[in-house]
Amino acid sequence: MAREFQRGHKARISDLTAGTDLYVGVQISGPGLTFDISCFGLDADERLSDDRYFVFFNQPKSPEESIQLLGGQAGDTEAFRVTLDRVPAQIQKLSFTATLDGAGQMSQIAPGYIRIVAGGEEVARYAFNGSEFSTERAVMLGDFYLKDVWRFAAVGQGFDGGLEALLKNFGGEVMEEEAPAAPAPQQPSTGAAPVFAPPAFGAPAAPAPAPQGFAPPPAATPPPPPAAAPNVHAAPTIIAPMSPPGGGQVHPPAPAPAPYGQPPQQQPYGQSPPPPPGYGQPPAPQAPHAPGPPPGYGQQPAFGQVPGQQAPYGAPQGVPRTGAGVSAALQMFKETPTGQRWTLQNSKLVRVDLGMGGQPVLARQGSMVLYQGKVDFGYKGAGFAGRIVGNATGQEMQLMRCTGQGQVFLAENATHLHPVELQGDAICVSAESVLAFDESLQYEVRRIEGHGIPGGALFTMQFQGTGTIVVKTHGTPVVLPVTPTTFADANAVVAWSAASQVIVSSQVRMRRNAYPGDTGESVNLQFRGAPGNFIVVQPYEV
Amino acid sequence: MNQPLAGYAPAPVTARMETHGDHMLKVAMQTGNDILARVGSMIAYEGFIQYEPNPPAVRQIARDWITGEGAPLMKCSGDGLLYLADYGANVVVINLNGDGISVNATNLLAFDAHLTWGVERVKGLAKFAGQGLWNTRISGQGWVALTSRGKPIVVDCGGGEDETYVDPDALVAWSPNLRVKGKRSFKAQSLIGRGSGEAYQMAFSGQGIVVVQPSEDSTDRLRVRG
Repeated sequence: MAREFQRGHKARISDLTAGTDLYVGVQISGPGLTFDISCFGLDADERLSDDRYFVFFNQPKSPEESIQLLGGQAGDTEAFRVTLDRVPAQIQKLSFTATLDGAGQMSQIAPGYIRIVAGGEEVARYAFNGSEFSTERAVMLGDFYLKDVWRFAAVGQGFDGGLEALLKNFGGEVMEEEAPAAPAPQQPSTGAAPVFAPPAFGAPAAPAPAPQGFAPPPAATPPPPPAAAPNVHAAPTIIAPMSPPGGGQVHPPAPAPAPYGQPPQQQPYGQSPPPPPGYGQPPAPQAPHAPGPPPGYGQQPAFGQVPGQQAPYGAPQGVPRTGAGVSAALQMFKETPTGQRWTLQNSKLVRVDLGMGGQPVLARQGSMVLYQGKVDFGYKGAGFAGRIVGNATGQEMQLMRCTGQGQVFLAENATHLHPVELQGDAICVSAESVLAFDESLQYEVRRIEGHGIPGGALFTMQFQGTGTIVVKTHGTPVVLPVTPTTFADANAVVAWSAASQVIVSSQVRMRRNAYPGDTGESVNLQFRGAPGNFIVVQPYEV
Repeated sequence: MNQPLAGYAPAPVTARMETHGDHMLKVAMQTGNDILARVGSMIAYEGFIQYEPNPPAVRQIARDWITGEGAPLMKCSGDGLLYLADYGANVVVINLNGDGISVNATNLLAFDAHLTWGVERVKGLAKFAGQGLWNTRISGQGWVALTSRGKPIVVDCGGGEDETYVDPDALVAWSPNLRVKGKRSFKAQSLIGRGSGEAYQMAFSGQGIVVVQPSEDSTDRLRVRG
């Protein structure tokens, strides 16, 4: 679950996620404004003592690739991949900044955010908008900083002076020293072509665990290529003259397709300059056919024609969502480790760590999909009385008791799962919607009487005590607050807070009784209760 | 009129196999670069694509495929864009980069025809007459698409001696270099109708990953009373 940060908030990264391979996305925009988003790797004195740790569009990665610029994707204006455990020791702080390019000031920006995504899930987000700023032209959005452990801080402070002031803040003299040397190495790659032409991104020849291995966060659909994107990078920016330190490493056109998974929107295929000699793009079998796919797919190198040196990256390039290799492609589905007893791995799979809390878990029979450690699965009977009640009411659960030490993953039929933590309060759940619960919870069958219900009454399970219950729903449920007029279909309602009172309301109309034909919605449950009560309804009628 | 639908237009092709949404696979087809896909999984195509059910090569390899209805694969060739799906299951695209993966036959959607593949009977699980777990092992340089009922989870086996136990009904794929064995948690009380519902698991150990789906296929892949 994403944690919302406000300006000035700080948190340990380990509290947000156990992973150290993080995706940092920045969205910032404004009418008529263009931004340069960069990451400064600072030393203990908060100085940019090593220019190679100034990661921006012209220097898309740090030497050991612990910080990589990914370009805009998944709704973010710009994105970085940060591998915290590979950041060298002298780098104590990573500052993510946005600088206005051209006229304007930060008060004009539209709502934006900086977010951290780990394991395919957003874990932190600091949202900002123009009202937090005034005349600034450069802002520090957020910092990763090392104080015993890596931490994240939402900064949201800026400088009126733009990038120059920002650089001065991070150790100005670096800028002057590097200024004369920089333009030279930049020449070969830029030329007349836009700065972002593929060769400029030619990655260092060193075999890189390419960012392909990184899974960008799931986005509903990839955003359309922002039309303005080329301009952002092509426009002569203020940093151009003093930029790429260590440029020699960045600029020689790489002799092969950059393993760097260049997001497609920065390589408009129609506009790409012809590959320079040595660019090594294999003459892939450009299928000549008319109406089919855009030319993009012709870029895929034919298997087997791949230049030897590029063998590990012989796969089609420009793959932002997946990477090469099995584990890379599956990165986004990795287990998310947390230190909690109940962890929702994704919306349909829950993990319980039996070692924590030391009490058994009761789960629906057959719901285990995977476990690690020593776990024993035993039959959990309802007892004689429970059997009788269960048979009479239909509210019987076929349960198993999971005991031992280890992690158990539970799921059933790809239904959505919702862990609900009870702290002395109570919840009513229909028995078929229960997936698992802590054995410390007490449960009993509750009867709801009313006219017009088949069988004379409705039964549900009431859980109370301290612990967690996992409720499953078919589809994304809706949670409604209980108001004086809250009704639900008895077949679709999943759960409700036990403090609300349930009344069966049947619509009796002359017409219904007089003529054939039934709306099928004649018996409803009405809920009444104090504010704060809720009901959960699923889009599925059992 | 179709304003709300405009957002679902296919994105430009950037790779041979991509997902469109979570549940649909888009393959950029080229002549000479065929794919093998699950029979009946085609939902749409653009361009000129031909389908050959049960090609001889497949029949040869899969002659002892467990499903009695012949090999459930078809060969697709031609030029264009091919869309595949399997009853709304999530699609996972993998670019095999010399790696190998062992996929449950039910969870295989499509793969490049030039990959090395074969049907194998999972060792240690063949002790039940007439049943067993049949897997497709794929390796080489190319693309594979798997299906998963619900978003899958990938668990690292850790490489140690610790074993990871998986319900065979929820298993999707695993690294072929893992050691596999069966584990019965079968007790006498299961015979009197008091089983936990978890009678049989597969234990994995070694260096590699296991992909598990959050749903338990009710197919008769491995049915033991428990």
